[in-house]
Amino acid sequence: MSQEKKSVGLYGFTGCNGDQLVIIHSEDQLLPFFDSANIKSFSLAKSDNDNSELDLAFVEGSISSQEQAEHVKAIRERTRYLVAIGNCACYGGIQAMELGAKGWDQRFRKVYGDGFFINRTPIESKPIDVFVNVDFYLPGCPIDARQFFYCFAHFLQDDEPVFPDYPVCAECRWRENDCLLLKGELCLGPLTAAGCGARCPSHNLTCLGCWGPMKEANIGAEFNLLKEKDYSLEEIKRRFRMHTGSGMMKPLKKLLGAL
Amino acid sequence: MREIVVEPLSRVEGEGGITVQLDGKRIKDVRFDILEGTRLIETLVVGKTPQEDVSIACRICAICTLSHRYAALRGLEKALGIEIPPKAHHMRSLMHLGECLESNSLHVFVLALPDFLGYPSAIAMAEKYGNEVTQALALKKFANHIMEVTSGRMIHGENPTIGGFGRYPDREVLLNIKKQARDFLEFAVYGTNLVAGLDIPSFFEKETVFMCCEPGNEFGLMGDSIRISTGEVVDCNDYKKLTNEKFCPHSAAKHCLYKGKPFTVGALARVNNLGERLKGQAGKLFKKHWNDRWLKNPIYNNHAQAVEIVWALEQIPGVVDDILKIKEDPALVKPARTEGEGVGAVEAPRGTLYHHYQIKDGLIADANFIIPTGQNLEDIEKYMRLAVQGMIDQGADDDAIRLQLEIICRAYDPCISCSTHMVRIERV
Repeated sequence: MSQEKKSVGLYGFTGCNGDQLVIIHSEDQLLPFFDSANIKSFSLAKSDNDNSELDLAFVEGSISSQEQAEHVKAIRERTRYLVAIGNCACYGGIQAMELGAKGWDQRFRKVYGDGFFINRTPIESKPIDVFVNVDFYLPGCPIDARQFFYCFAHFLQDDEPVFPDYPVCAECRWRENDCLLLKGELCLGPLTAAGCGARCPSHNLTCLGCWGPMKEANIGAEFNLLKEKDYSLEEIKRRFRMHTGSGMMKPLKKLLGAL
Repeated sequence: MREIVVEPLSRVEGEGGITVQLDGKRIKDVRFDILEGTRLIETLVVGKTPQEDVSIACRICAICTLSHRYAALRGLEKALGIEIPPKAHHMRSLMHLGECLESNSLHVFVLALPDFLGYPSAIAMAEKYGNEVTQALALKKFANHIMEVTSGRMIHGENPTIGGFGRYPDREVLLNIKKQARDFLEFAVYGTNLVAGLDIPSFFEKETVFMCCEPGNEFGLMGDSIRISTGEVVDCNDYKKLTNEKFCPHSAAKHCLYKGKPFTVGALARVNNLGERLKGQAGKLFKKHWNDRWLKNPIYNNHAQAVEIVWALEQIPGVVDDILKIKEDPALVKPARTEGEGVGAVEAPRGTLYHHYQIKDGLIADANFIIPTGQNLEDIEKYMRLAVQGMIDQGADDDAIRLQLEIICRAYDPCISCSTHMVRIERV
C-alpha cells in the first residue's frame, strides 16, 4: 500500500511555545512523527521550512497583531484542515483573560509606554477562530502528547478524532483523590474538559481549568456551590477567566444574565 | 543598499528575526527583531492572589517554566514572610536541575549542533549521527521526567506552590532518577568533548561583562546577590541598577545596559564567573577546555551549556539523597502576612531572571519581570555587528552572513516568548 505522505505544517503565534514543545518533548515519537508525514514547516524544530500547500496545519498561540491575523489567514488558505492546538489558539489563553473587559489600551501603555513598534501592529490577544475557520480544537495548557498524536494519526487517515466529553472531576474520581471542592476549595474540576488525568487534584491542588470548559458543563451547579462556600462573585469570575478567558466566561455570563 | 533578512529565525523559542542593512561596506543597522506578539503578563497578574500569579507567570515560557515559577515563588515568599522547609528547598533544587538539564540538552544537541555539523535539523542529522541524536533525546527525556516528577507535569506543572509542594514523589521514583543521572554521565562527558572539538570562528571576538546569581561557595543556579565579572557583588534587590533598561538612539530600541555597557547572562556567564568552583567531571572538563576565548566569543555558550549538563548530572544524586533523608513530607507553609514586597532572582537556563512583586491585602499590587534574553539583546547585536563587519571585509555573500548571524543568535539560546516585553520601540 503505497500512499502519498500528507503535507503537514506546525505554526506558533503568541504564547509560550509549550504545545510545539510537547511534541519535541515526545522523544520516542519524534523520529516516527517526522517520518509519517512531509513536515513542511516547523520552525521551532528545523530550518528548511516552506509555504507550500498543506493537508494539515496545527496552529499554536493566540493572535495579537494585525500581521499575525494576516499570517493565520494565509495558512488557512493553503491548508485542507486547520487544527487549533493549546489554550491560546483555542481560547486566547491567559493573555486573553481580560478580553472584552476593556482597558487593554491602558495596560498596553503601562508596559510599553507611548512608543510604537517598527514592525508590528499589536491588537488585544484573541483566539484564532476569530479570524479563521477552525476544523478541530485540541485544548490544554499545554496540550497532552497522547491526545496530540491520537489527533494527528486520525487526520492522517482523513478521520476526525473523538475526545471524551466528561470533566476532570471524573478522572479525579478514578484516581480516588479526596474531593477538594467538598473541603471548600475553589476547584474547577467539574467544569473542565478531561484530558490531563486530573494532574493538579492528584497533587492536592485545585483544578485551575487549564483545559477549558467541558461541553455542557453544569456552570450553574458549580456557581451555586461556590457561593454557598462563601466565595465572592469577584473571586469566582477571576478564577473562571484565568486560563481560558472567554471559554469559561461566556457560559458564566449567560448564567449571570439569567439569574 | 543591501539588506539581509532572516525571518523567521528557526530553531529558537518564539518568533524572531534578524535584519542587516548595508550601505556599500558600511553597516547602517543590525537588528535582532522580536516579532512575537504582546501578552502584557505583568499587568495580568495584578489583582490576582499569589497562588494565581504563580500559575500565570510560569506560562510566560514553556522552556523556562520552572525558572519563572521558582523566581515568582522566591519573590512572593519573601514578600509574604514564608520560610520553606528543607525538604521543599531540596525538591526545588532538583526541579531546577531538571530544567537546566532539559533546556541545555535541547539547545546544545537539538537546536545548535546541526549548524556546526551542517544540517537543517537534529532529525536530518540523525542519519549520520544516529547514536548522538538518540542519546541526546534520551537525555532530554530523562530531564523532562525530572521536571514531570517534581512539578507534576513536563510543562507548567502546578506542584511547586506557595509554601512548598502539593505532593512529594515516591522514594522509588527518586532513586531511579539518581541511578539514571549516573548512567547519563558518560554520554554527557562525550557530548562536551564533541562540542569542544568544533571549529569556532574567532573574527568577531571581543571582551564583555558577565553576570550571574552568586550561589555562595559553589557553582549553582540561585542566590540573593549577583556576581559580575568585574568583581562586584550586588544585592538582587538592586536589580534595576544592574539591568536598567535604556533607549539606544542608534537603534531606537529598549535594551538592558550595565553602567552604559552591554553584558551577557546565561550558561557562559555562569561558567566564566564560577567555573573555578566546578568539581568532579565537570571540573575536569572545565580545566581541559576553558580558555580566555570563552570571555570574548558567545559561541562558547554552547560549550558552557554542555559543561553544565555534566555538572547537573553530578549534582542530582546528592540532591536526591537530601530529599530522601527527610522522611516526613512537610505541609505547605502559610503566609505570615498579607502585605509586602520581594525580589526573587534565579538562574534560568538563559540567565538571571528577576521577579519583583508588591502585595497588598493579599493580592498582587504590582509586578516587574526582568528576562534573561532581554538582558542579552545588546550583546547579541554587538556580536552580530562585529561579525557583519568582519564578513563584509572578507567579501562574504549574503547566505554566509545570514548563517553566521543565525549561529551567533542561536548560541545565546534566545527565549523570545520570555523577552517580548522587551520588544523594540521606535520613538518619533
